[in-house]
Amino acid sequence: MSTVQNVEPFGDGFIAALCPELIIFAGLLALIIIPNIGKGTFRIPGTQTRVMWLFGGERFKITSNPKMPAWIATITLGAAFVQTILSFQDGVDRTAIVTESGTQLLLVNGFSRVFEMIFFGALTLAAFASMNRLEVKGIGPKLSTDDLYNNRRQADFYILMLTCGLGMSVVALAQDLFVLFIGLELASFSTYVLVAFYKESKVGTEAGMKYFIVGSVASGVGLYGLSMLYLWAGSLQFDVLAAQFVINGTDPLPLIGIGFVLVGFGFKVSAAPFHFAAPDAYAGASSPVAGILATASKAMGIIGLIRMLLIVASPEASEDGTVWLTLLGIISLVTMTWGNIAALGSTNPKRMLAYSSVAHAGYMLAAITAIGAWNWDDSLAGEPGEAAVAVLTAVIFHLVVLVAFKLGAFLVLSVLESDGDASRLSSLGGLAKREPFLAVAMFIFMISLAGVPPLAGFVSKLLVIMGIVKVAIGQMGAEIMAGGDYGLADVHWVWWLALAMVINSAISMFYYLRVGVVMFFEEPEEGRTGPLPAGWQVRFAILACLMATLFMGVASDQLLEICEVAAKSLNYSWN
Amino acid sequence: MTDLISIPLVAFPLIASMILLAFVSNGNARMRARLVGPVRMACLVFSLLMLVLTTGMFFRYFGDVTWMDIGFNEYEFEHKYTWVESLGINWAVGLDALSFPMVWLTTFLLPVTIIATWNEKHGATYFPLLLMMGGALIGVFVSLDLFMFYVFWELTLIPMFFLILKWGGKDRKYASQKFFIYTFTASVVMLLGLITLYFLQDPYSLASSGTMTGRSFSIPELIDNARANNIGDNWYLGAQMQKILFVMLMIGFLVKLPAVPFHTWLPDAHVQAPTGGSMLLAGVMLKMGAYGMFRLPISLFPHALYHFQLALMIIGMVSLVWGAIVCLGQTNLKKMVAYSSVSHMGVILIGIATMQPMGWAAALFMMFAHGIISPMLFAVCGAFKHHYHSMEIGAMRGMAKHSPWLATSMMFAWMASLGLPLLAGFVAEIMMLIALWKMISVDGWSIWWMVGPALVLALTAAYYLWSMQRTIFEGGEDTQPPASMKGHAIPDISNSEKFAMLILALFTIIFGVLPWIALDMMDDWTIQAFEGLIIPLLKGGA
Repeated sequence: MSTVQNVEPFGDGFIAALCPELIIFAGLLALIIIPNIGKGTFRIPGTQTRVMWLFGGERFKITSNPKMPAWIATITLGAAFVQTILSFQDGVDRTAIVTESGTQLLLVNGFSRVFEMIFFGALTLAAFASMNRLEVKGIGPKLSTDDLYNNRRQADFYILMLTCGLGMSVVALAQDLFVLFIGLELASFSTYVLVAFYKESKVGTEAGMKYFIVGSVASGVGLYGLSMLYLWAGSLQFDVLAAQFVINGTDPLPLIGIGFVLVGFGFKVSAAPFHFAAPDAYAGASSPVAGILATASKAMGIIGLIRMLLIVASPEASEDGTVWLTLLGIISLVTMTWGNIAALGSTNPKRMLAYSSVAHAGYMLAAITAIGAWNWDDSLAGEPGEAAVAVLTAVIFHLVVLVAFKLGAFLVLSVLESDGDASRLSSLGGLAKREPFLAVAMFIFMISLAGVPPLAGFVSKLLVIMGIVKVAIGQMGAEIMAGGDYGLADVHWVWWLALAMVINSAISMFYYLRVGVVMFFEEPEEGRTGPLPAGWQVRFAILACLMATLFMGVASDQLLEICEVAAKSLNYSWN
Repeated sequence: MTDLISIPLVAFPLIASMILLAFVSNGNARMRARLVGPVRMACLVFSLLMLVLTTGMFFRYFGDVTWMDIGFNEYEFEHKYTWVESLGINWAVGLDALSFPMVWLTTFLLPVTIIATWNEKHGATYFPLLLMMGGALIGVFVSLDLFMFYVFWELTLIPMFFLILKWGGKDRKYASQKFFIYTFTASVVMLLGLITLYFLQDPYSLASSGTMTGRSFSIPELIDNARANNIGDNWYLGAQMQKILFVMLMIGFLVKLPAVPFHTWLPDAHVQAPTGGSMLLAGVMLKMGAYGMFRLPISLFPHALYHFQLALMIIGMVSLVWGAIVCLGQTNLKKMVAYSSVSHMGVILIGIATMQPMGWAAALFMMFAHGIISPMLFAVCGAFKHHYHSMEIGAMRGMAKHSPWLATSMMFAWMASLGLPLLAGFVAEIMMLIALWKMISVDGWSIWWMVGPALVLALTAAYYLWSMQRTIFEGGEDTQPPASMKGHAIPDISNSEKFAMLILALFTIIFGVLPWIALDMMDDWTIQAFEGLIIPLLKGGA
């Protein structure tokens, strides 16, 4: 591993390091400017001469095209996505953006790159698919004011998507808790508005309100925790906090502070008991937006958790076991079980997916718990971080492939939504007859979520379970080969989390299969027998998700390597 | 040697069926109806080609393999390709005398099933699903890698789920979901067991260890490693761990088998499944459970097998007796046949639990014999339902007069299943009884263990003969067609059904009269396995 290369803002290498973010920024500017370009004129003061300055006035045909913002956003996000992928090709080196005094603000490395990949990938797909979603009126002389407003909203929607992406990538890059929080809030506020974007419908407004209130309370609690941490350490730099934690990490002040900060992130990943707003938000938001909440926004919360739990309150720092281990284990158990059992009873497919997303959050928390336990076995200390890297790789892999099948499922619902409604399970009825492609895709997304081989969901779940079991067993294999006799009582208790996980996957099978049964073998709802609304963009996005789900299931080697690089670059002492 | 397994037997049927399905589901209903003929013919030809290949393997035409001389944990037609290097996952295939009969059985049953259900509705999607099922099943049997094994193990669920769901009876939704969830639950527990086993290896001790984890999924290497450590009182992985892993793996296999008390998914699935689905389900899919037991827990954990011998024996006995008793009370023909499968699977468990080479060979031969007989049972049930629109025993009486072909097939299948000498089922049952006697006389078990099988011999005869009497005979001159016929004339079974029945009957006789064709290699495998697994335990202990 190369050593870190410090770059001052706008110094050498700044553009190369922050290229994806700068692309997004440029896209934002374009989204603001381009729809306003028109035949506007400007009168030179004191004269009668009017000069064309191309701003305002009657818009050109191309700039007033209602699909224009969507294309700009998709291309921008897509370019940022491609840029992140390309950066993996010639090996990611570490570049830190520092202030004049040398404090690290942002750090570009494998870890942040892979998360940028997740964010931009999910947002690109969602933006592309939304092109068919928002009401779009043609361009002509008969447009009413309402139509014009509706078309203007296009720009707002995609601007929010871009700011969301920008905020998320700041979270991935941040090396300072305060910078991280700024990014988190930027992304959060964008999603609050996106959830409530359908102001015409009651559900949308209600969902937006709920999500905003609960979310801002969670953020407020997080900020309070932040202030306590600042009081304690005098800085919010991650490395300063981590160093402080090694010295006096068992003080009540930092523990309470960290706990409060975790509430903020727990809300983002919809971990129990902070998950109550999630089902409402998912059900009220338009499906692509709900898909973003379930994939990108969740990945953002996981970053926060990873930074707080593995860097600041790191397991290595505590001599006698990790402080948060038991608590996180219980939370993960409750989260996955609660999510699955609630999903069993929900008849709204979006709520069902929301609860399944809660359950998946539980699986990832179980994995993080396992990392906390990685040094329980003294002999494991000989290979520092190997187990941690394995588990973290699994978590990152899971977050990446989740974009494919979770977002894909929401996009299928999105097509149904534009057909009228997707808030009942029966809305999916007869989908196999109406459009076989969508039904097959949805079925594959569902069983991938449940973890059936040979799909991506199976590989990711397998990796998480493997990681947990690896930690739980530790070096027992070698000791057993030397003649030791051990039972399950000698294995670390996180093994039981793996058992809870597999049993939960079996429970989840029930509600995932039900979707398949409804799609293939139930009649469509009254008056919904015809073909579904057209729109190649959303279908293309679904196809991309489908391909990724299938491909990552059988050929996961390369992605796994990327994830491993990312996991290793979280903490360089692990190498 | 070229790879005769991966592509022709596994990848080809899977990919071909997917292409056919994608092609077919593209068109509208009329086009699908027109495609039935070609698709069916394509599936039949593909499956016949596979049958030719496996039969050729048997007759040493492809690859000069003497199936008798393969040592324990040695494989023929072995091929290995790296899949996920960092985790030690390989695509590894191979055949031995344990898996080859099962692979042959699958390739044999596929064309027979296609012929027997020649006129199934929605044929354009039905036949490719059967083909996909075949590919997935063969994948289970040829896998020499735990990961690959698990992938195919679960993959078999998907086509079967759709077969039951689309072509099934009235309660098909309930039955298919129950089937899926039951077996999925059991197999995820098995998966956790497999992963625990994976991480209990000594890092980097096996040849195909992953670069990242240092552990290997390779079945032959794991078995070798286990054999090297299972000597005398030394338990591979330690006594506690071995017992735990044995139980975790066995849960997956016992539910699939199925053994009482995990059997309740089977009658539901069978009764609702279409004939073709039932034939493959009973013929091969149940055997996955028995095959898995031999391949993994028994080969890896013989100590634990000894430890749980009594438990297995009890489960086997309970399955045997309970299945037979429940059969006696059934009014539904197909349900009766389904419970009789549970009873026969009890024979396999008892055979394993005797811990006699003869008992294991009996179990292996039962897997094979039941794989030929039970499809015939279900083919008869399907034809019965098809022609009489009812499954109730007694709904139709005096069938011998109306449909002589069906009545003859039924009689033959019923007799074969009840263990008539000179038919395949008899060989397995008599071997099991001998092994049980040996266990009693040599190992000193109580003679009361004979009560169960003796009772079941009588019970099996009772329920089969009784049901035959009430369907085939009785009635005499004044026999009326059942009310469900609504006055239609009663046809006999179609030519394709006749042909399938004849083939199945022929092979039942062949393997009943000349059991050594298959039994020799099974015997050989058992003896090798005993020498490789059980003898070291006894020797070292003394």
